[in-house]
Amino acid sequence: MLTGGERGPALDPGHSDKSRLYRFAAGLDKPQMPPGKTLTDGELKVLRQWIDTGAPMDAAKPEPGENEKAALAKLEERPITPAEKNYWAFRPVVRPVVPARTKNPVDAFLNVALKSKGLKPAPPAERRALIRRAYLDLWGIPPTPEAVDRFLADKSPDAFSKVVEELLASPNYGERWARHWLDVVRYADSSGFEFDTNKPNVWRFRDYVIDAFNHDKPYDQFVKEQLAGDEIYPDSKEARIATGYLRLGLENNIKNEMTKLDELDDVVSTTTGAFLGMTVQCARCHNHKFDPIPQKDYYQIQAVFYPAKPADFKLAPKEQVDHYNAEVKRVDALIAPVKKQITELEKPYRDKIIADKKAKLPAYLLTALQTPPEKRSEGQKLNVIQVEKSLVADEKELKPALSAGDLEKRTELQKQIKALEDTKPKAPDATLSIKEDGPKAPESHFLHRGSPGQPGSVMQPGVLTVASWNKYEFPAPPADAKTSYRRRGFAEWVANAQNPLSSRVMINRIWQQHFGEGIVRTPNNFGKMGEPPTHPELLDWLASEFVRTGWSVKSMHRLLMNSEAYQRSSDDIEANNKIDIENRLLWRMPRRRVEAEVIRDSILAVAGNLVEERGGPAVFPYIDPSLFQASSARTWPGKPDTDPSTWRRSIYVFTKRSIPLPMLDIFDKPDSVSSCARRNRSTIAPQSLIMMNNAFIALEAEKFAARLQKLAGADPQAQVDEAFVLALGRHPKQAEAERAVAYIQGDPHGLADFCKAVFNLNEFVYFP
Amino acid sequence: MTKRFLSRRELLQTAGGGIAGLALADLLRGASTTGTERLNPLALRAPQFPAKAKSIISIFCYGGVSQVDTFDPKPELLKRQGETMAGKGNIVVSQGNPGGLMPSPWEFQQHGQSGIHVSSLFPHVAKKVDDIALIRSMYCISNDHAPALFQMNTGFIQAGHPSMGSWVTYGLGTENQNLPAFVVFADWRGGPIGGAPNWSNGFMPAAYQGTPFRSAGDPIVDLKPPSDMTPKRQQRWLKLLGALNEEHLKKNPADSELAARIQSYELAYQMQFHATDAVDLKKETAATRELYGVDEQPTDYVGRQCLMARRLVERGVRFVQIYSGGGNFTESWDAHFDLELNHGMHCKETDKPIAGLLTDLKSRGLLDSTLVIWHGEFGRMPISQRMNGRDHNPHGFSVWMAGGGVKGGTVVGATDEYGYAAVENKKSVNDLHATILHQMGLDHEKLTYFYNGRNMRLTDVSGEVIREVLA
Repeated sequence: MLTGGERGPALDPGHSDKSRLYRFAAGLDKPQMPPGKTLTDGELKVLRQWIDTGAPMDAAKPEPGENEKAALAKLEERPITPAEKNYWAFRPVVRPVVPARTKNPVDAFLNVALKSKGLKPAPPAERRALIRRAYLDLWGIPPTPEAVDRFLADKSPDAFSKVVEELLASPNYGERWARHWLDVVRYADSSGFEFDTNKPNVWRFRDYVIDAFNHDKPYDQFVKEQLAGDEIYPDSKEARIATGYLRLGLENNIKNEMTKLDELDDVVSTTTGAFLGMTVQCARCHNHKFDPIPQKDYYQIQAVFYPAKPADFKLAPKEQVDHYNAEVKRVDALIAPVKKQITELEKPYRDKIIADKKAKLPAYLLTALQTPPEKRSEGQKLNVIQVEKSLVADEKELKPALSAGDLEKRTELQKQIKALEDTKPKAPDATLSIKEDGPKAPESHFLHRGSPGQPGSVMQPGVLTVASWNKYEFPAPPADAKTSYRRRGFAEWVANAQNPLSSRVMINRIWQQHFGEGIVRTPNNFGKMGEPPTHPELLDWLASEFVRTGWSVKSMHRLLMNSEAYQRSSDDIEANNKIDIENRLLWRMPRRRVEAEVIRDSILAVAGNLVEERGGPAVFPYIDPSLFQASSARTWPGKPDTDPSTWRRSIYVFTKRSIPLPMLDIFDKPDSVSSCARRNRSTIAPQSLIMMNNAFIALEAEKFAARLQKLAGADPQAQVDEAFVLALGRHPKQAEAERAVAYIQGDPHGLADFCKAVFNLNEFVYFP
Repeated sequence: MTKRFLSRRELLQTAGGGIAGLALADLLRGASTTGTERLNPLALRAPQFPAKAKSIISIFCYGGVSQVDTFDPKPELLKRQGETMAGKGNIVVSQGNPGGLMPSPWEFQQHGQSGIHVSSLFPHVAKKVDDIALIRSMYCISNDHAPALFQMNTGFIQAGHPSMGSWVTYGLGTENQNLPAFVVFADWRGGPIGGAPNWSNGFMPAAYQGTPFRSAGDPIVDLKPPSDMTPKRQQRWLKLLGALNEEHLKKNPADSELAARIQSYELAYQMQFHATDAVDLKKETAATRELYGVDEQPTDYVGRQCLMARRLVERGVRFVQIYSGGGNFTESWDAHFDLELNHGMHCKETDKPIAGLLTDLKSRGLLDSTLVIWHGEFGRMPISQRMNGRDHNPHGFSVWMAGGGVKGGTVVGATDEYGYAAVENKKSVNDLHATILHQMGLDHEKLTYFYNGRNMRLTDVSGEVIREVLA
């Protein structure tokens, strides 16, 4: 306030009449402050007196005998009150008593709430709808007709449980559920910013997440591997790959203190949102406005990640890496003399071009050049440096200047270099990771107002104070450690069963994917500005159950999917609509559009075209070039729609931060800039344009038609039936069948167009 | 307001206490409404207070325009040519070494009743100064293209925030459901650095993202079906789809989300014709085409874009953004070297089309309701770079507005004697955004979207309407 912003100081101590702060508050100048509120005369008087007496600021004013630094340090403290600790999300998870005897405890909790509001639960879903729901949910593609028939034929009471088991046992499951986590950690294959360069090997992290879900990796281990895999599991390559988590954010090609702080902020923000459901980033410049998160917590958590620096980790054995380095060195030594020959050949031509340019310089620059160095003014010195550095001959000028003989000679030399380059061995396998400079961490500071220009105390690593059950001690690293063990300490705190947030936050995410909305509908914000849980006891019971099962995500799927609530019909009940139209209490299964990836993957699967190849580098489906028009540094090597390399599940599609795939983007795939806890679900005309007119959709419709002809022959009636069974998991109603058959018969393109219509059906893109 | 059964809390969370009553299809989530109301996130919404403008055309000179060579004359540069720029503290350049002061190669003259100085780079636009409010005291945060572009477009230097066009369509919806509400034209040499995040919806639903328009052929990718899909065949197809979807809807007739999706096909079908018609320049007279410099070089490309922009706002499109410059260096306004070649070329390409746009809008009575903004992401240095170029300069630059309730012939603020930094009546990007929203009848402090624990704004936590430019 005293140094002032862009418009000068807000405060002139001793002179309220000259202080903008007072003038705005008193309405003497515009704008009125605070906005939309006028201070009372009494309040204005206090403000005036305070400024006129020199605007004393006790917080930063040293006490007698105290130095300024200590006074400033006091500003860093912001104690947590017992009442703040007693907020629901920070209280320990205590396993509540299940309120009734039901087959599945989940229903006991839900039914209490339904009963209290007089809501009648919807009847069980039809079996065909149920199995389709489970497939879209766990695999993200529709069930095959055989799977549907098997389920219908299975009259045993645990028929549906068996379906769930089958789905969980397939690698298709990981390819679907990994995507949810990738949203949360804002996964992308490129770094954003000006050049948006590709992140090498980042796909290994994507595959790691897929494997983690497929192998039901205990969630606490999953947390520890991502935050501190190198420190906790030093011998595990997998854990190393997991630390790629720390490299997923936007990475600026410009490196300075501010960009480093911004990248750290991104890590702090994503980490506390993803693992703790807290908006700690709001405390970068001041204490959190709504939640008991001191600014100091922000900087202590920042200190956890401060020592980590980007570094690739070689997965290949040491001998292979050594061999590679030696070979590169050897070949480079062979290339160097050839390069020298080219330089010598070009020199006379370059010199001439530069001399010609010099002759054409404006007078004042020429004067500067001609002035003897010792007599040049300061400005002339600057100009001469520029001229000398800027007068160059570029390839565009050089090439036409070369004589035919020299041009040929140079081309020959360039060929030699290329041939030598080609003899270099393939780079050894590596993964995106981090490194630190040893057990002693570099110092980082509390930053007043978030400004690197106002450093406060040196920060020790810390956790989220309000959520900690004890005064948490970070482990000391062994003397020969390669890292500070700060991330290890933090990860172990997050993954501790006593942590009140970790289990609640994760079980809420799992719940959200099954039921459309979380029990807490703001999954990355369990704070005061988020929504309170609709079923607090259920949330706590599930959190405790999650920990009891050894943080097993698959156990949670079994538990939730085997509930009556999950197996209810999604159809409306008039009477219930009048009481709870938003279906907050889950009297029916919510209807909701499936995600972008599920739409694309389902089309490929139903057309019989989905390539079941798992893992590896990402693929590039076609994007119309006019959508990313060749900026030199950003490219999209798209393959035609007919190229089978692109017929893979959408989780394998390259995520370029500056060039989104329209088909996924338009259906609300998140932008991978910040953590996405819950996707938007919009319905707009451009989505329909793509679904109607895009060449990929048309191609897949033709493939689907060909498949129908193969499976059902030439009879339109049989084709329609087969299409419904494949795409929707049911037979058509008579009216539907008649309509479709008439359509197919009435047009030479009838079958393929009908197939495209199926891809466009609401039923095809909505959870049943 | 029609009954939408949103809880008060949910309403507050979406509208952030701002435009209460905003109902997004997205927001209803699994819930349904009674009745057959069809949801549309782009439904027309009333402004918060009477608006001056209905539409915006932003002409974005990507790469950074030099203020001292266009709208901010500095005779001091000639007087002191080659001298160091003293007394300005540490001069931060984005690349290389700072050079001496470099005079503008172009002459400035006073124009119009207002007598505003404009350089010979903009002979046509100069004739329009009495319609223009010129701000000479703009500044921004970053001297790096991508963050500065993001700031100009979204208010934040980091990617991931909704762009100006998204905020405006979120606040007001659109007047023509048959066209996208927010249209972006890229330069033929490529898109701006940073790519799609420049017209992104950020954390808002996809309904608010900018739709890239092509300047030739079909304006939107996937606008048209393959050529063998005749309109008749397509109509028949839509009927089939509609019938099957209605059959599905019968189970839950009150589900407005499903109904909205059925309707979206009708809209998409309409869009195929309306979007094509909107950019069909054959329907313009020879005189109009001439006015914009269409059919002649080097103005044809931008001329076509400006003319299409007029046709779009005429049809109720809310926000049109035209990028001049794409790719790197000479392809954009990024004149690190050979300023004369660079700005000479880009000004020639844009001068006549922009002036033509202003003339045409005015003669059709559209200028009053269309806010035209001309800007880059930052300015350029008064000192030389690589002998004959100018480096990035975030400390001072010029931006102008015309139409849309703006007071023509106005000059706001000033830079220092060299044109290096804004010193008098400084205006931030937040101020500019606040002003733009204000002309659209939106209060930048009240147009909020709840995300990540707080009410987000285009202007974050600052910004004041630039009252001096208001008519």
